[in-house]
Amino acid sequence: MSKIHLAQIGCVAKDELRYWSRSKLAISILTIGIVLTLSSVIVTAFKMHELSEIRHSMQETSEETFMEQPDRHPHRMVHYGHYAFRAPSPLSMLDPGVDAHTGNSIFLEGHRQNSAMFAEQEQSTGLTKMGSLSPAFIVQVIAPLLLILIGYSSVSRERESQTLSFILSQGTSIFTLIFGKGLALFFVVCLILLPLTISGVFAVLLGESLAIVGGFLAGYMMYLLVWVLVILLFSTLFSKKSESFTALTFAWILFCIAMPRIASSTASISVPTAGKLETDFAVIASLRKLGDGHNAQDPAFTKLKNSLLKRHGVDSIEKLPFNFRGAVASASEAELTAVLNQFAEDRMLQELQQTLVARLFGWLSPKVAIRSLSMISAGTSVETHHRFIRETEELRFRFVQSLNKAHMEKLSYRDDVNRNKGEEARKKASVSSTNWQMIQGFRFSPADATTRFTRSADAYAQLTLWIVFLLLFIGYTGRRVQ
Amino acid sequence: MGSSKQDKTLIESKSLHVQIKDTSVLKGLSFRVAKGEIYALLGGNGAGKSTTLKTFLGFNQASSGAAFIDGLDVSSSLASVRKKTAYLPENATLYPHLTAKENVEYFLSLAGLNKSASEIENTFDLVALQKDAWERQLQTYSKGMRQKTAIALAILREAPIFLLDEPTSGLDPVAIDEFNQLVTELASSGATILMVTHDVYGACQVANRIGLLRKGELVGEFEANQNERIDTEVVHAAFAQRQP
Amino acid sequence: MNKHLIREWHFMLRQSYVLVLLLCGFLISSFSVLTGLSEIDSQRETIERLKTADQLDRAEAQDKHNAPGALAYYSFHLTYSAPSNLAFAALGERDIYPWKHRVRMLALEGQIYESDAQNPELAQAGKIDFAFVISALSPLLLILLFHDLFASERASGRHELLVTTTESSFALWGARVVVRLFAIFISLILPFYVGALINNVAMTDVLILSLWCLLYFIFWIALSLLIGRRESSAPRIASILIGFWALFTFVIPILGDLAINQSIHSPQGGEILLTQREAVNDAWDLPVQTTLNAFTATHPEYIGYKHENEGFDWGWYYAFQQVGDQVAEPLSIRYREAALKKHQRASFVTLLSPTLLIQKKMTRLAETDALAAMAYERRIREFHKTLRMTYYPWLFSADKFNKSNLDLLPQFDSTTSGTTYSRKNE
Repeated sequence: MSKIHLAQIGCVAKDELRYWSRSKLAISILTIGIVLTLSSVIVTAFKMHELSEIRHSMQETSEETFMEQPDRHPHRMVHYGHYAFRAPSPLSMLDPGVDAHTGNSIFLEGHRQNSAMFAEQEQSTGLTKMGSLSPAFIVQVIAPLLLILIGYSSVSRERESQTLSFILSQGTSIFTLIFGKGLALFFVVCLILLPLTISGVFAVLLGESLAIVGGFLAGYMMYLLVWVLVILLFSTLFSKKSESFTALTFAWILFCIAMPRIASSTASISVPTAGKLETDFAVIASLRKLGDGHNAQDPAFTKLKNSLLKRHGVDSIEKLPFNFRGAVASASEAELTAVLNQFAEDRMLQELQQTLVARLFGWLSPKVAIRSLSMISAGTSVETHHRFIRETEELRFRFVQSLNKAHMEKLSYRDDVNRNKGEEARKKASVSSTNWQMIQGFRFSPADATTRFTRSADAYAQLTLWIVFLLLFIGYTGRRVQ
Repeated sequence: MGSSKQDKTLIESKSLHVQIKDTSVLKGLSFRVAKGEIYALLGGNGAGKSTTLKTFLGFNQASSGAAFIDGLDVSSSLASVRKKTAYLPENATLYPHLTAKENVEYFLSLAGLNKSASEIENTFDLVALQKDAWERQLQTYSKGMRQKTAIALAILREAPIFLLDEPTSGLDPVAIDEFNQLVTELASSGATILMVTHDVYGACQVANRIGLLRKGELVGEFEANQNERIDTEVVHAAFAQRQP
Repeated sequence: MNKHLIREWHFMLRQSYVLVLLLCGFLISSFSVLTGLSEIDSQRETIERLKTADQLDRAEAQDKHNAPGALAYYSFHLTYSAPSNLAFAALGERDIYPWKHRVRMLALEGQIYESDAQNPELAQAGKIDFAFVISALSPLLLILLFHDLFASERASGRHELLVTTTESSFALWGARVVVRLFAIFISLILPFYVGALINNVAMTDVLILSLWCLLYFIFWIALSLLIGRRESSAPRIASILIGFWALFTFVIPILGDLAINQSIHSPQGGEILLTQREAVNDAWDLPVQTTLNAFTATHPEYIGYKHENEGFDWGWYYAFQQVGDQVAEPLSIRYREAALKKHQRASFVTLLSPTLLIQKKMTRLAETDALAAMAYERRIREFHKTLRMTYYPWLFSADKFNKSNLDLLPQFDSTTSGTTYSRKNE
């Protein structure tokens, strides 16, 4: 291998740029690429901003209507319930991820864990199943194709027209040529990533961690670099332009179109998950053993009753220093939540395992790797949805128990028992609406930067391996051609 | 051989004009080739040699004048014309992933001809393609061997007329000699041959007549006397536009 | 003619890259059919398990309670939309829309939007079903197979020799096209035939689907040849063709989606729930008669019902559940109408893109599209109505119920169409 000179590499790159500038096809492809990326960045930014506004305002409305409720029996508020909305993360304007595929609001009420409702996809035209105008899709799927269209002939062209032997005979190393061509393609990569970087700056201004945004953009750069290397490799490997084109197109079809779906299908059949409906049966069966928290006479609560009576040294529940019905509600909610959480955690674990199987395909396709990296970094992956479910469950438990506490401490057992005996009794069996204020303040945000980095470590490793493997292969092929 | 001139005209160009993308490539080209004759159209780069050949093959349309094969206008009776002609492309490109036999069988079948294995083998012998190469893929062949395969194919087509495009370019001297001998034999057995070339010496060695083509016009014709060759020096001088 | 086809068949078998493409097509198609079959099997098994569990669960609830009101409160009823036999080939929207629900007598608007969705990250990537292989992948394979039909012969200088040698255009190009079309068609559709045989798909469905595939293939081949004739460089031809593919697969759908979403405004789903919740919760504080009046306005047959005791009463409870649905109904109807309208407009966009068109045709035939999901939702609504109509007489005239009447409760039948739900007790 002869020496590689930087000046020569620059020269080759400049020549390649000149070649493109004289080709109508290359110019139009470049224009299409930049226009597509730019418009996807703008359209998605506006859309996600709008969604964010809507969800924030609905969150506020929900809190306000809850707090505006008049004085009433606290358990009524447990069933009145509350809504939590998942505000999109700042980077979701670059990769909306699963946002449209999961419900973005959850109805929180006592004794039940509801699933997230109103996935946008259900109310959509169904036209964008193949691809949407999101920067993530454009850069992950369309950009490699454009790079291929521009760069497929970069080395094979020289081989076909025999200028390669001419160049080599001058003592220029084949690697100088390959890296020069690579540099020119890398310039295109930078052009494509420019709009993303600007959007990334906005994300930082919106409060996203700088490290995450940097990692996100670096991930995309690695991904497009993988494609630049694939192009250089195939272009060097084949001696005919048309052959290198066909091979590259085929690689694109395999990596970008077929593989992500093959990954999904494989994951879904290799890790079958029971739906919520199915685990609900098991939940119901477990719950039957716990007893109905509405009915303090339920034999399931005898043990609780006896222990409370004993602890407070009294002989009847009327004499307890607090409302026994409230105590039962609180205790049964805690027990029930423990059961519900256990099933919910199992379900989320299954779903996560399924997702991890799909992500393993990142070793086989760089597109799958960048997809995971991008969604995890942007906080729009399934983990973020799980976090939303966990956080809202925490919120649910907190507000229900706080109402149960009011039930227990601010409402006498006698008034409570007599609540159905006429209008007057009903009014007496209520607590002040000041107790509803605790609902305020739920704001969802994705996991912290470190957690997201840890989760995406595999994807970074996958892309790194691709780069190393391709560089070795190019080295091998280059030596053979030389 | 000289007597063949009096025979029926098989190839004729009648004040042929051909335009390709607004450029006049042929400007009133006229010549005839009689049965059993070897006619070489000689010219430099851009003289219109290939255009002439492609017009006879039906790939170019005459803007005025006409090209005739065996009395048939090429533009109006293309199908019959193509049955009567065997074309030998420059570089003799056949399918590199097929053997010589497979290539020949493939093309013959395309032409709707059915030839027995022995007929094909005899023809290979006739063109002196070495036997051990018959079952080898063409990508292992030298240029001369590919040329022989293509000629074998042309012969097997049993067409009375051969159109050859730069048949000797890139061949080594031994291969050129073999080729010239083969063409001469073909003509003596009644075939009519039109070849285009820029090789003055090659043309003089094999052709009965030479037409000198310059910028789409025939600027001179040279003829061999009975059993003699055309004077290379004269043709070369005309080609280079100087006095001999 | 036969002779030419046979010759070109043998000729094709000698071209290794064609064989690689065909093999890849076959493998991917087989994989899609295999995973499709397994997906549908697991959906069927899930439904069977749910049916058993549902009956057990209801039996237990019915065992434990005696009052019709409590029975209605504690008994859930399974509804489901079983996959059609053809669903394995076009999984369609079943990973987005729910196909199983358990409902009870409470306000339906509070229950029906619960979705037991599949893994969202897998749904976002989409699954590789046969419909995807045909609509999106097959054009790419066809482009690779057909774009250089002329160009490769031109580039290697054989074009003239071939054209001047051949008997007729058909003998050469026609036979080549037919042979390659046949080969790719078989390698892509053969796995589907096997799947169809396993899943007992109706012969007519198989034939219709084959015909569409064939027409779709012919469309792409015709386009490839049309452009292949005009241009000389194979990569250029393929670039233009892939451009068309991207136009049909991404550009037209995305633009259509943007335009439709701009033109149709749907109420937020959350609004329906909030409205319904307010109505149901307010009813606790409203005079009983106000609720009952609103209820009898739509159910006049229960006008005579008298609210017996001062406190809680099941009749009143279910009346205000129903009134909750009635209050939310206009919003809910607008929500559903918007969805339907979006779908209808999307159908027009579909006409501009063969890729979308064939996908739509296939999911329609397999009943896995949004329309099928909407029909299932209508069936749930019908079922809920039948359920209410069965319980109301028991709730509002106490003497009419005895526990053996529970046999009269409707059973959800996934085969009934959305509009003709029959009540057992009629």
